Amino acid sequence: MLYHNLYITILVILAVMLFPCLIRAVKGPRIADRLVSVNMMGTMVMVMIAILALMLDEGYLVDICLIYAMISFLSVVVLSKVYIGIYEEKRHKAEHPEEDTETEGGMSDGSF
Amino acid sequence: MGVFEWLRLIAGSVFLLIGLVIFFTEIFGVFHFRYVLNRMHATAMGDTLGISSCMIGLMIFSGWNYTTLKLLLIVVFLWLASPVSSHVLARLEVATNDNLEAHCTVYPELKTLENELAAVKLEGSATQQNHFADDVISTGGDTK
Repeated sequence: MLYHNLYITILVILAVMLFPCLIRAVKGPRIADRLVSVNMMGTMVMVMIAILALMLDEGYLVDICLIYAMISFLSVVVLSKVYIGIYEEKRHKAEHPEEDTETEGGMSDGSF
Repeated sequence: MGVFEWLRLIAGSVFLLIGLVIFFTEIFGVFHFRYVLNRMHATAMGDTLGISSCMIGLMIFSGWNYTTLKLLLIVVFLWLASPVSSHVLARLEVATNDNLEAHCTVYPELKTLENELAAVKLEGSATQQNHFADDVISTGGDTK
């Protein structure tokens, strides 16, 4: 019962701490701000899942936590790469507006 | 509860509390600093130190079983992955910010060095086929 109350307290504190991260993700002036705060939220959710695994005495929840860590890392890397590519394409198009965009491929408008 | 149980509870709680304090410091830093490259400094600390101290507390609660091993695996994975993601985010910020000089010092020597490296890379990609063939021939000669 003592452990249960301790886990509940820590879970509530972590859940309250998630809201400032969400505010920063909404307010953040640049896209790197948003990615940083989403990464931070992912770390806190990982701790919450690990605490739930011990609280409910279900060992397999820790596996879910590991997969969550991997997907969070992958999403940050992929989003960064995609955004760098979109920015380079936009700049290239602004510098050479007379070029035919049909030869660059289907994703050249950067609208996805 | 015996003495050992109490000791385990206190040690685990202290580690979890340290982790929570570090998470709070992380949020404070994110709202205190003015620019992304400063904010990243605060969040990278929470990604490694905060989650590792929380996981150490949970390991002490869990005892000797496979759950402890998996928690350790998460910590090791984040030690490897968090610096990489911070590096990628910093590259995103530097590559997409047009007036980076307004926020931090950009050394002109580094900029000229980058331009030279880009020029070398362009030349290399134009004559890459030849270099590759030369490399294959030379390494083939060495192995014989």
